Amino acid sequence: MTQIRKYILTLVMFLLAGGIRSLSAQAQGTPTSLPATGGAVQPAPPLKPPPAFYRNLIVLDPAHGGRDNGAQLSNSSVEKDVTLAFAQRLRPALTAQGFTVVTTRDSDPPDELTTDQRAGTANHVRPLACIVIHAAATGSGVHIVSSPLPPVETKTYGRALAWNKAQASVVAMSLRLANEAGLMLEAAHLPVLMLRASVPPVDSLICPAIAIELAPLKQSSSKETLATDPGYQQRVAAAIAEGIASFRTHNAPPPQATQGAGARPGAVQ
Amino acid sequence: MIPRYQRILFWSLVGCILLMGAFMLRGCREAHRRLTALNDVNPIAAPTTAAKEEVALYIASDADATIRSVRSEVALPQDPSLRARTLLEQLLAQYSQPDSAHRLQSGPSVDDVFFVTDTSRANAGKVILVNLRGSFADNHPSGIEVEQLTLASIIGTLHAAFPEFTEVRFLVDGQPRSTLSGHASLDQSYSLADTTIRPPIPSEAATQP
Repeated sequence: MTQIRKYILTLVMFLLAGGIRSLSAQAQGTPTSLPATGGAVQPAPPLKPPPAFYRNLIVLDPAHGGRDNGAQLSNSSVEKDVTLAFAQRLRPALTAQGFTVVTTRDSDPPDELTTDQRAGTANHVRPLACIVIHAAATGSGVHIVSSPLPPVETKTYGRALAWNKAQASVVAMSLRLANEAGLMLEAAHLPVLMLRASVPPVDSLICPAIAIELAPLKQSSSKETLATDPGYQQRVAAAIAEGIASFRTHNAPPPQATQGAGARPGAVQ
Repeated sequence: MIPRYQRILFWSLVGCILLMGAFMLRGCREAHRRLTALNDVNPIAAPTTAAKEEVALYIASDADATIRSVRSEVALPQDPSLRARTLLEQLLAQYSQPDSAHRLQSGPSVDDVFFVTDTSRANAGKVILVNLRGSFADNHPSGIEVEQLTLASIIGTLHAAFPEFTEVRFLVDGQPRSTLSGHASLDQSYSLADTTIRPPIPSEAATQP
């Protein structure tokens, strides 16, 4: 009888020890036993990484706003109003191309948004492209501005990106986006200048980003169309939307059907 | 008939006026003598003649967003800091001409230029610090293109005149400022390089990844 009790006690102790070991191994994320399928090691399915970007999502940033009026374009118009009006024309043009549009502001807020807040908004939603909108009273036509940062491979750059140099990892894509927008503007017979300049918040964006600056359209030495002109803005908006759609076709083709039903719509990894 | 006391009062007042006038005249002469005594007219340093020399000015054009190098003869002092300041004043004064292709307001633009060596980094960089006047930044036309061209013009001109320096940083009235006039970033250092630019033309070849 004593012998049987000893066996039972030993068995209970063995089972308890095995259970504790199994629980601690599970907490560390390591497999505790080999699966039954022929002894082959099958690692646990990896966690699904967040998508690199959403191919149908665009962020528009009408610059300035609040107490920051931006440039004085004429006696009656300031830059913050023109950028907002242009964003409101660009939005339906992009929607018509199948994009979802997020804007950093839809009205003139009482307090201005800092450029860091705008960059944070854009970086958070992982869009295909970010378009920063400006307007000027000098120059001619449409100025497409890309970051002057030298391209950096993400692998060599390390995991952490410097806030004011985050654009470096995608600057090659930004240049392609600028080129696509420039081509469509030329096709629409609008003068375009491609520039590289450090304009906040473009250098802090982790998505392909360009700044669009609307300048007066000089048709002859005496006649010019101001950036406030609705017809001019509409032509530019239509061309930019086509350029972004072309950029999506070339750089972010639709995800394959084999990605599975679990894939999030519009997400490209 | 004027009463006698009124005549006495009148002449007394005239006398007082004359006395006060004489007192003021004497005070003015004294003050003038004291002030001229403070001006030491003795020369301290030997007078120098700044000979004209040929420099490269990087001139911007708003119409096509280009920067081109133009040779110009400018009288420059020998002191590097004064030399850089004079050079930049000369450059920015060109933009206030009526026929300028990059129109800026006239007036003083550069307060100081400092040459520093940044020893905090492993490879000590030689940095030029340009302190712009607040009036220049406040009255600068606002826009990405126009602001970037002004900065590129300054950077290119400094690089041509001081090729041994590697970076330039900008201050406005001695303080850091985020942008020149709302667009081009000033809160970073720029590499000194040849900024002669001609914007690229969009091409079909550059659309493919």
